[in-house]
Amino acid sequence: MAASPCAFSPRGCRLFASAGPDGRLRVWDTAGSRLQHEYVPSAHLSAACTCLAWAPAGARQPPSKDGPQRKKRKSEVGGEVDTQLDILAIGTAVGSILLYSTVKGELQSKLDGGHDSRVNCVRWHQESCCLYSCSDDKHIVEWNTQTCKVKCKWKGDNSSVTCLCISPDGKMLLSAGRTIKLWDLETKEVYRHFTGHATSVSSLMFTTVKPTNESKPFDGITGLYFLSGAIHDRLLSVWQIRSDRKEKNAVMSFTVTDEPTFVDLTVSEVKEEPVKLAVVCRDGQLHLFEHILNGYCKKPLTSNCTVQIATPGDGDSTPKPVPILAAAFCTDKQSLLLVYGNSLQPIIEKVSLNTSESHICLVRDIQKVLSLKTDAAVTKVKTPVVNSDAKVLVPGIPGHSTAVKTPALGKEKKKNKRKPGETEESIEERLGALDIDVSKVKTPGGLPQTDSFAVLLVQGLESNDAEILNKVLNTRKENIVKNTVARMPIHAVIPLLHELTKRLQGNPYSASLMVRWLKSVFTVHASYLSTLPDLIPQLGMLYQLMESRVKTLQKLSRLHGRLFILVTQVAASQTVQDVPEVNQTAKLVYEDESSEEEGSDDEMIADKDSDENWDEDEEKEEQSDEQDMTVEKEINGDSDLEPENESEEE
Amino acid sequence: RRCPRGLRLPRGARASWAGVTAFPPRRYLLYASGDFVKVHSVNTEETLGLLCGHADLVTGIQLNPHNHMQLYSSSLDGTIKLWDFMDGIPIKTFTVGSKLLALYTLASVEDSVFVVIPKMGERDTFQLVSVKLTKGAGQDLEGKELSVVLDGVGASPKQIAFGREDSYVVSVKDVNLQVYFFKQKLLNRFSLSTAKTKGGDNRFSCVVCHPKEDCIATGHADGKIRLWRNFHHKKAYTYSALHWHHDIVMDLAYSLEGTRLLSGGVESVLVQWHNESSCQKDFLPRLGSPIECISMSSDGVLCCTLHTDNRITIINSNLRFSRSIQGLIKSRDVKTGLVVDPRTKALVLNGEPGHLQFYSLQSDQQLFSLDIVQRQYIHQAGLKQSDLVKVAFSARGTWLATVEESEEVADPELQLKLWFYSEETQSFALNTRINTPHDNHITDMCFRDMDELGDDSLILVTTGRDCVFKVWVMVGDSDPEAHQSVSWSCDFVGSYHNYQATNCCFSEDGSLLAVSFEETVTVWDSLTWDLKCTFCHPPGNIRNICFGRLTCSKYLIGATDYGFLCCWNLLTCALEWSAHLNVVVLQPDPLSEHIAAVSWLSKESSLFVFKPSEPWPVYIQRNLCKEKILLAAFVPRDEPEMISSEKYLWLRKSQLFFLTDTQELMTLSTKSLEERLTPSSKQLAVEESLPVTPFSVLLGKHRRQQAQEDTDLGKPVVHNRQEQASPAVKELLHTPAHVLPSASFLCTIFINSLLISKENKSAEEVADEVEMESEKAEDESDEEDVTAMEQEDTSPMELLGEMTCKLSKSQEKELRKIRKMDYSWLSAF
Repeated sequence: MAASPCAFSPRGCRLFASAGPDGRLRVWDTAGSRLQHEYVPSAHLSAACTCLAWAPAGARQPPSKDGPQRKKRKSEVGGEVDTQLDILAIGTAVGSILLYSTVKGELQSKLDGGHDSRVNCVRWHQESCCLYSCSDDKHIVEWNTQTCKVKCKWKGDNSSVTCLCISPDGKMLLSAGRTIKLWDLETKEVYRHFTGHATSVSSLMFTTVKPTNESKPFDGITGLYFLSGAIHDRLLSVWQIRSDRKEKNAVMSFTVTDEPTFVDLTVSEVKEEPVKLAVVCRDGQLHLFEHILNGYCKKPLTSNCTVQIATPGDGDSTPKPVPILAAAFCTDKQSLLLVYGNSLQPIIEKVSLNTSESHICLVRDIQKVLSLKTDAAVTKVKTPVVNSDAKVLVPGIPGHSTAVKTPALGKEKKKNKRKPGETEESIEERLGALDIDVSKVKTPGGLPQTDSFAVLLVQGLESNDAEILNKVLNTRKENIVKNTVARMPIHAVIPLLHELTKRLQGNPYSASLMVRWLKSVFTVHASYLSTLPDLIPQLGMLYQLMESRVKTLQKLSRLHGRLFILVTQVAASQTVQDVPEVNQTAKLVYEDESSEEEGSDDEMIADKDSDENWDEDEEKEEQSDEQDMTVEKEINGDSDLEPENESEEE
Repeated sequence: RRCPRGLRLPRGARASWAGVTAFPPRRYLLYASGDFVKVHSVNTEETLGLLCGHADLVTGIQLNPHNHMQLYSSSLDGTIKLWDFMDGIPIKTFTVGSKLLALYTLASVEDSVFVVIPKMGERDTFQLVSVKLTKGAGQDLEGKELSVVLDGVGASPKQIAFGREDSYVVSVKDVNLQVYFFKQKLLNRFSLSTAKTKGGDNRFSCVVCHPKEDCIATGHADGKIRLWRNFHHKKAYTYSALHWHHDIVMDLAYSLEGTRLLSGGVESVLVQWHNESSCQKDFLPRLGSPIECISMSSDGVLCCTLHTDNRITIINSNLRFSRSIQGLIKSRDVKTGLVVDPRTKALVLNGEPGHLQFYSLQSDQQLFSLDIVQRQYIHQAGLKQSDLVKVAFSARGTWLATVEESEEVADPELQLKLWFYSEETQSFALNTRINTPHDNHITDMCFRDMDELGDDSLILVTTGRDCVFKVWVMVGDSDPEAHQSVSWSCDFVGSYHNYQATNCCFSEDGSLLAVSFEETVTVWDSLTWDLKCTFCHPPGNIRNICFGRLTCSKYLIGATDYGFLCCWNLLTCALEWSAHLNVVVLQPDPLSEHIAAVSWLSKESSLFVFKPSEPWPVYIQRNLCKEKILLAAFVPRDEPEMISSEKYLWLRKSQLFFLTDTQELMTLSTKSLEERLTPSSKQLAVEESLPVTPFSVLLGKHRRQQAQEDTDLGKPVVHNRQEQASPAVKELLHTPAHVLPSASFLCTIFINSLLISKENKSAEEVADEVEMESEKAEDESDEEDVTAMEQEDTSPMELLGEMTCKLSKSQEKELRKIRKMDYSWLSAF
């Protein structure tokens, strides 16, 4: 099964057309790798699509001599030549050619009656609206696409003609079966023969538009190079059209790993500019060549760069190769458009490769790409991946903020601040590094005493043993905490503070325990701390943590107050409901004379009611405010250690 | 070839209320966009044509009911134009004189159309008038014959509708409904109570009429839909209400048969009501943005909705989302600025709420929109939404930083998100989320733009109104549990005298960071974070700053509130030059030394392009446009454009785009309008010639016959009767299947009947005949028509055996041929 025919739209490769094995034509948007539309030819099951060609885009007519004349003719027809760019010529297996308009999304015309066998190649003429096609029936046909009639038909070869290419000046045509022939398009006579391929030629392309040596006057064809590839052939040959008829062998050749299925090249316009060639092979690899064409080269050239695509292969699964289907150079001649994956659902990606490396393997997770793409197919909305392993920084977490440095504070230089959390190695780590088997400190059984608590704490801090630290720091008794802190050696204060800071960042429940420790550390060791020269960097983290926690305190206390009011009110209303209703009918009713008016208007009463409700609400709010105040007071009373902290740090 | 430089067309359409859409039979979608009417293919979303000719906003478009290839359009410039929209040619222009606000055409009235015009001498009152379209020879005609139909109508085209068989017209305004019966010349007025009870609001918003019955559906401001019946009587009228929408009903549309009613509003949900019952309804939710207009295709297969964000959605009849045609999404406020994505070269800015839109400038269409906030957008007045305010890309597009904040002014909820572009999955993935990176609004954000250095040189700087700027760097994650190798964390916080930080910018080599604090610009060393020097140019806060590039990298440019553009030399730390210019936008070109400054002075924007090394500008364009330009961006070109003129040399490597306060995207271009128009908008020259399949021949004939019967019934159908159906085929079709002889027996007759006699028609002409709609074909085959019709007359007679003698020779030949056919199977019954 031959690779499915596909083609990039000319000028910027905005669209990519591919005909699948199911006979459907799909047009993809290369920028978003999105299916633009799908066309099912009426005879898609019987007449599979064999070749594709985009009409030349923006083939602006050069201001040539016959310009005005031509224009006149065209205006009679009622259009311009360069307007057919959105037409795709599709050759089918039964010999008909379809012209499909990608803008309208419908069939434009059907060219019938030229071939009676499989169409192998279709090519548009750059300027006139001619279409050339060749077929298994050994003929080449020139079509007029405006009238959809055969302009000329001639026998191209003794066997089937498989490939065509039009010369850059549009006056010559290359055709190939086994042998390559160059035809003069005016006379339809063979101008040159080239032989060398053993199998039928599958691709033909001109690589230059101007001859490399400008000594002789250029006649439009002599001195040009062209490239040919054949099926089951791992060599791409380059030929030169020469004025003498002697030389008929290939000038040079490129070797690839498998039969070439898609070839794209940048045409070199300047002599020094190398030809860049991208060859996609049947084995799914892409080979990039860069070569300045200049005469003979005996040895086949190998590629400068080979590109492969593979799946990442997470865990157990081994990476699998992903076939590249097509590749094209972008307009900047540097970056490449790659089409890879399944031909029914290809992924199109623009890559700029570093061609200095000889082998590039791109890792692409096809499954994920496709699953992300299907969401965006219609609505164009893409959802970026949000994993749980994304880092979240909230105020107080290290890395969220650092100490504010104002220029007035002087210029201290730090060596490296790019790696936070750089701590000295703990004793355990050091011992581990020494590779000595250390038996862990045995924790004394029974109820620990406070003096042993202090010892334990120091040991725990030095060995960085979480078990011991947990045991010590999770005490609730106030005086144990106080005593421990008082008895601990002074060098352990700073490590303890760091440990406490780390724990404060964690679970809020443990944080409430740590606050007690902090409080006693600051009350007992304030004088020691104030003597430290690097206090600000040492305790900066803790300070920020407190800042950010305290900042939300007001809001929290307000919320607490409101909720408290709400809950008590609900409870109160329930108790009210439980109380049996008191008979509230008036014992005595005195009717005033003016009461009639009010009674008549229902709405007024309703309004009044609602007003009263409002009043109640306001009362409630006032109450809640009062409550707030008290709550805030409470909290302030609770958290009286903070001002202390701040003062300590200052 | 060089043409005078002009302003380019607004891209992505001016999102004005783009008028009526219509689907002619061959699936084209027409819509008014600014001063133009655009023709789109429904199949491919591509623009097929652009009808330009109106001098002002196009307010209404209607297909010519008598010719489906023609279109009427009305505009504020006071003209009605008749177009051949397939070729994009204006056929006729009728000058009415006053502003036209809406246009209606009727099938029953051939020579006049209805328009809404402002009433002479009175402000804000409008009347519906019928304009007689005079039949003249020339292209420009007068349309001055006006006759008033209704007074006091609304200005919106949605507030008038024509009823069944054009027998009456309905207009709604505020709480009043008027129905005018053409035949009886009777005007009925109904009004609802004005009182706003319990969230109720009876004001009308739109009206449509049932296509088959006497029923009017009206939409209301409170979300109710009322169905009025029996409105011939002033007193005995009835109405029922359908209520689903919670806010104003923006538009209504009936299906072709009137069994389904579609409604849409601000909820961005399309509701389909079946048989006018409130319990049977279907929904198509999440259409993205409020629905402004609903339109049904003429064959009833598709419907489309126009949205407030400049988008048209095409929806199947079974309420399935089919396609959307989208220009630049109009967002409420472009806070992110215009940013260019280095990877796709697309312009990135705010799109739908919470999304970033990637707009491809090359293909002039939206690539995709990236859902950053990832929260369901709920439309409700007063609800605080989160939206994106800042966006920055790293130099190669591998990192994307976004800042989102809630709309609350006092206490914004801020989130800074850093996304990594994973090539493996071809999508952005969240790397780090930072809650409350600043305590107040973030004013600016930028990456250190260094291409050649590795990723570890990547630095992000954010400036906030909380008087600090923060430097974020990538660090290797020390936590062994973390799955990702790198994450971002704060490296440095800087402030300057407790002033609010407003702008930040890195020099080209990344060694210096400039941060502006109100009136002062501070320059910091990006390695040690030391303050190097400060500049200021009092009075006035710094509005914009940027460094010079390439040869001018020693200069720092700043613009102040008080209208000064200053250029400081970083080597001498002195002011190099300053100019008095009220600069709104300052934009450096990343590929050259040039800097574009857009000034706003007395209701016009001017563009100045300069090099920092020279105090005089390279290029000045005064009066760039009337609107205020808010943002600008240089977009690198794929290949440098060949520009010969020295004056425009600065446009060689990149293209300059502007966004105005009306959210029109504009660019400067050296090419003329015709060249710039995308080639796809031009007509296709290739003639259509599709071979006729036997099936289509059969079917075509059958259809034509039916259509003929339709014409007998009085329906105007425009087509020609062409070839006669072969009697054999006719018999084949009309004979019941169970009495037909075997297929193999019929085969020869059938094939024979399909063979085309040589002297009669060539294959091409057959193809022409199949093109029923095409007028040209009609003209060309007129002669043949005659013979064909005659043949049609004779053939049934022939079957009955009644020979008429008055036959032409060709017909005799035809008859002889028919007689030779084998009819023996007919004798079976």
